[in-house]
Amino acid sequence: MAQEELVTIEINGIELQVPKGEMIIESAKRIGVDIPFFCYHPRLGKGQAANCRMCLVEAGTKQPDGSVRMMPKPQTSCTLPASQGLVVFTDTVAIQKARRGILEFLLINHPLDCPICDRGGECPLQNNTLFYGPAVSRFIEEKRHLPKAFPLSDYVVLDRERCIHCARCTRFSQEISGDAQLEFLKRGADMMVSTFQDTEFTSRFSGNTIELCPVGALTSRAYRFRARPWDMKSQKSICTRCSNGCNIWLDYRPNRLVRVLGRENEAVNEEWTCDRGKFGHEYISSDRRLLSPLIRRDGKFVTASWVEAYHLIASHLRQAVAEHGAQSVGAIGGAHLSNEEAYLLQKLMRVAVGTNNIDHRLERNQVAGGDTLLARLGVPFTQNAIADIERAKTLFILGADLVDEQPIVFLRARKAWFRFGANVIIAHPEVTETELRFDEPVILRYREGTEKTLIHGLLYLVLQSGKAVTSALPSEELQSLQASLSAYTPSRVSQETGVAESVLRETADLLGEGTLVLCAGRVRNHPEYAELVGALVNLTLLTGNGARENGGLNILLPEVNSHGAADMGVLPDMLPGYVRVSDTTARQRMEKLWETALPAEPGLNTQAMLESAAEGHLQVLYVVGEDIAHKYHDPDLARRALENAGFVVVQDLFLTETAQYADVVLPAASVAEKEGTFTNTERRVQRFWKAFNAPSPEVKPDLNIFAELAVYLGKPLPVFSAEQLMEEIGQAFPAYAHCCYDQLPPEGVRWQTTSLGEEE
Amino acid sequence: MSEAIRLSEYPRLRRLDEKQPPELRFSERAVQELEHIKRHYPNKRAALLPALWIAQREYGGYLPPEALMEVAYRLGTSYAVVEGVATFYTMYNKRPVGRVMLEVCTNLTCSICGGYEILRHLEEKLGIKVGETTPDGQFTLVEVECLNDCGNAPVMQVGNRYFGRLTPEKVDALLEELKNSDAHTVVQLADTIVQCHLMESERQDIERALAKAQAMNEEQDG
Amino acid sequence: MAELKVLFKDIDVPGIERLEVYEQHGGYSALRKALGMTRQQVIDEVKASGLRGRGGAGFPAWIKWNGIPKDESQPHYVQCNADEGEPGTFKDRELMLRHPHQLIEGIIIAGYAILSKVGYIYIRGEYTEPARVMRRAIDEAYRAGYLGKNILGSGVDFDLYIHMGAGSYECGEESAMMSSIMGERGQPRLKFPHAPLPTIAGLWNCPTLINNVETLSCVPAIIRNGGAWYASMGTEKSTGTKIFSVSGHVNKPGNYEVEMGTPLMELLELAGGVKGKLKAVIPGGSSVPILPAEKCDVNLDYESLQSAGTMLGSGGFMVLNDTVCIVKFMRRTAAFYAHESCGKCTPCREGTRWMVKIFDRILAGGGRMEDIDLLLDICDQIDGRSYCGLGDAAAWPIRASIQHYRHEYEYYIKHGRSMVEVEGKAVA
Repeated sequence: MAQEELVTIEINGIELQVPKGEMIIESAKRIGVDIPFFCYHPRLGKGQAANCRMCLVEAGTKQPDGSVRMMPKPQTSCTLPASQGLVVFTDTVAIQKARRGILEFLLINHPLDCPICDRGGECPLQNNTLFYGPAVSRFIEEKRHLPKAFPLSDYVVLDRERCIHCARCTRFSQEISGDAQLEFLKRGADMMVSTFQDTEFTSRFSGNTIELCPVGALTSRAYRFRARPWDMKSQKSICTRCSNGCNIWLDYRPNRLVRVLGRENEAVNEEWTCDRGKFGHEYISSDRRLLSPLIRRDGKFVTASWVEAYHLIASHLRQAVAEHGAQSVGAIGGAHLSNEEAYLLQKLMRVAVGTNNIDHRLERNQVAGGDTLLARLGVPFTQNAIADIERAKTLFILGADLVDEQPIVFLRARKAWFRFGANVIIAHPEVTETELRFDEPVILRYREGTEKTLIHGLLYLVLQSGKAVTSALPSEELQSLQASLSAYTPSRVSQETGVAESVLRETADLLGEGTLVLCAGRVRNHPEYAELVGALVNLTLLTGNGARENGGLNILLPEVNSHGAADMGVLPDMLPGYVRVSDTTARQRMEKLWETALPAEPGLNTQAMLESAAEGHLQVLYVVGEDIAHKYHDPDLARRALENAGFVVVQDLFLTETAQYADVVLPAASVAEKEGTFTNTERRVQRFWKAFNAPSPEVKPDLNIFAELAVYLGKPLPVFSAEQLMEEIGQAFPAYAHCCYDQLPPEGVRWQTTSLGEEE
Repeated sequence: MSEAIRLSEYPRLRRLDEKQPPELRFSERAVQELEHIKRHYPNKRAALLPALWIAQREYGGYLPPEALMEVAYRLGTSYAVVEGVATFYTMYNKRPVGRVMLEVCTNLTCSICGGYEILRHLEEKLGIKVGETTPDGQFTLVEVECLNDCGNAPVMQVGNRYFGRLTPEKVDALLEELKNSDAHTVVQLADTIVQCHLMESERQDIERALAKAQAMNEEQDG
Repeated sequence: MAELKVLFKDIDVPGIERLEVYEQHGGYSALRKALGMTRQQVIDEVKASGLRGRGGAGFPAWIKWNGIPKDESQPHYVQCNADEGEPGTFKDRELMLRHPHQLIEGIIIAGYAILSKVGYIYIRGEYTEPARVMRRAIDEAYRAGYLGKNILGSGVDFDLYIHMGAGSYECGEESAMMSSIMGERGQPRLKFPHAPLPTIAGLWNCPTLINNVETLSCVPAIIRNGGAWYASMGTEKSTGTKIFSVSGHVNKPGNYEVEMGTPLMELLELAGGVKGKLKAVIPGGSSVPILPAEKCDVNLDYESLQSAGTMLGSGGFMVLNDTVCIVKFMRRTAAFYAHESCGKCTPCREGTRWMVKIFDRILAGGGRMEDIDLLLDICDQIDGRSYCGLGDAAAWPIRASIQHYRHEYEYYIKHGRSMVEVEGKAVA
């Protein structure tokens, strides 16, 4: 990257060097000079900013003779770019008067209902008035009256009287989320924020507008009147609602979560949250949480002590292993556990029980290890960092409605297009919300199930165009590929997929270096997964994206720690770090670390475990944090398995449908009540911290449960803390060696795939 | 708690399905006109103002929500954005208006040259207040800002024409004339503005295309 | 002194709005001449003329022309401001209504000079009559080969589109007009130094030349007769002629084209003299400070008016006689700006409406003496702090009216009625 050009400017007599073009409001922060503002926001385009006029400063330029030529009017520092010799004064008498004037203007129509306003205490308008405002108002006329507390949706309440027209929310909805559902109506003093005809505000990102609002005009319906900001504590956490790993703040009062705010992490979510993340953590403080272990007696659950529960489980496990062998025991779960817990779960099963029957996957494709991606691209699932999406030249969104499936990845994709002009190709059999957020993207409306043909057709065109990086494939592979593709002529592909030939060609023209493919559930669950991914890998390699930062193949994952669970070896055929259980050298290394012998036979995957259980073969089924009866891709199979398994243990926060089948139910702590790390879909390892105590002393973090159960099994796996466990993980899987808590930076670490190569 | 109850008193807002195209009511002519006007600009969003004029004509002189949705759909932008634009400009009617709009200037020059007298006179004559429409739906009376024909103050805009140097007598005669004329209606104004956007060659193209479509229809019918 | 007609030279020729008549009177000869000159020569000619923007700000036209990049890596646009909305101004209306080809020729020459292939003429929605004339004239020009591809065989292409507004004073502000052309709410955009000048990044972020109807209408005569000829008229810094739209209490209201620097009183005479006793003049549209009768001994050019404490503005010349109540007149002015404020920035949005509320209270008899200073202070708080010039323009006239007519305000507040109570004549 080119060196940033620096310019020398002067703020309040202090000379400093800043990057050319930096906004003065930012430059002032460097020297601790406070400039008040409302409408400015560094992530919103400056084109529509500068409307609150709060950040006015006096500015001039140094002349060659050393004198300063002042601009005749005060300037908005939020849009004033730093240039050589710029001289700025932020605190002159004129500016003080201007600020008083602006605040007086803002307050003439602003209701003084601060005591019952949710923004009270953390309100920029209050704060700026305190520091810069007039003590009294000279306004004696009637204030503007508009409907108050108007629910725009289940999440957002709008109070038009409080609005100060900063346009942050409208800019967000037009520039960032792209749904443009909020806009100003009318003009002048009658101007007001609205959705179209007061219809429901259905944006998937509506919660961000609440945080952006500098007053209490947009407030959260869920948080409404629940707390005062000064009565709350905050803890850093990670959102658990998808695999993106967004950084959030948990704001809580004693042992009760009251709201979730976005937390800055440039690499992941910048500062945004999706509504699922922002409003989807209510479960933590639900009244329906499990508060103690339950044991089934005479068909009914009764409250039990942990000692009873552990004894019961341990005796069934021991009995099953003794009578039917370790293969008669299986565990499902891990995608919702922390890395440390996932690691310990598989260690418990492998070391204390002696089985490889462990899996975290609930989706259709539970492909045996050594997936195409790992083998050919050297990455387990995703090649590119989330932040790199915005640098892509062409985004190819295949079979995914990102707005719905990966909302924050969608925001990056939109930024790539909106801010940086990336081309966008969207392939999906149906109209998706995602495609509505781009202006005229290339749309491949293929027939359901023809993804493979489509990609082959594109490969055909890429190869035909002569721009393909043929050296990326070994020559015999290339030849066989070319031979197999010969049938995929545009006309045939068009006929089969329903995508017009011209659109296929247009798409192929856009593919090249810097093409970044984003896939999600539809590809993960594709009936021809292996072939489809193989074709996508070929496309990635032939377009020169085999090892690029701003291009490549990314199969986004479903759950918060799907990636971590795979990394930790919650897989029937792989130990931590993607080493095969059948690989003797690797297994021996792990045996040494764990000081025990390990089963060499790959275990059963989820599907096989459930089938085995359904047929009555599985003696003990241990389900951790997954409501398989409800969420397994084949729920009927899951239910039959739960019915017919010899003994079922369910460990969860709630008495889920799955738990209803259990013989023992163990109450687990939520993410807010424990600590650990998650690995997000771009393999970034991030920490979360304990915010408050579990709702009952009988509710335990999964880590403790696994460790204690191991004791009852007579194979103690001593664990003192998640931190200590991470050190062991680093030994088991060297890529995680940099994730020890004392080394883990605030923004987390993307573990390096190069260590995978070293392993082999 | 009490507030939570109050919130639930609000009816649940209507939810729009963005994936569902709205009802489209533009005539073939309107579609053709919009297509041509779009080509005047590097992107279709820029055709929003003319598109709203077309819609105002097509929807009978004002822009009901359906008109805004149709325009948004045809230009690939959001409903809210279109409503924001439509409500910014005063000449787009957001509510139904009379067949003819009488827009009396009372701005500076007109205010000192009898603009208010004309306005009062019209109120009396029509039996309505400023901003209202006569019960027969003929006239809507509006007070407007400077029409910039101050040399002829007091001035009134009626559809696509200005009438200046007004006196109560002139206004009375004019009202009689307007009752029997379709030359200066609200719809006529919108159409005039639309036609002003279209070049001669474009207008000819549209006529040819419409004639061809009609011929084909007749052929099919026959 | 009489009128000096440059723009209006042929305006009384019957049928001059038609192409063949315009051609008979030398029409489009300037375009032919310009096409034979280099682009820089055209710009230099405009520079030599000293022509300044007639929209209100008086910015030298050639600097804008010359500021457009000289390469064609991006499209360039001409944006003709025909959104005449400044109260008291009606010159552009007449120029379009009666002399459309002069403007079109000017736009094409400008387009040639700045390497532009596309021009937009933004006509306010209310101006349907001028727009229809412009439409007819543009169609004629296309037919005759003055517009379109390969103009007069020169290899130069230029398309001219009409874009009509829909009722917004703010859209006369050049950046708000850009928003409006791009299909957005007519709100202003950031200006230099916060953003590049429109000549670098205007419409769709491409170089854009924005000139007023009157400015562009001057171009054909300047090219035909040379910049020096134009500069020989008027004063040293305010060259050429200027059309003043005279309205209000005069006997012959209308547009009068006079040489820059003409004494104000002469213009009044041209317009048939004042009806009744002269009280004040607003020389440049509603936005400029009011000029009391006793200060009317001034010349009409940018500099003289500025030193008299007002501005030339758009040339909307409103004459008030002694029947006008300044308080009521200013209430109407304030109401206009409150109505037209786009709402984007705080001072203009809130301040203009607040002032109207204060005026309404004073007019209703509820005024307080401190309201006068409050109004002045609100003017101070808006002036220079708003996003665009509309805020300033809302503040100036009111401030000036208090400076010159404080006694009328005081009288109104004290007595609850106007000092100028002439039945039926005062502003309602």
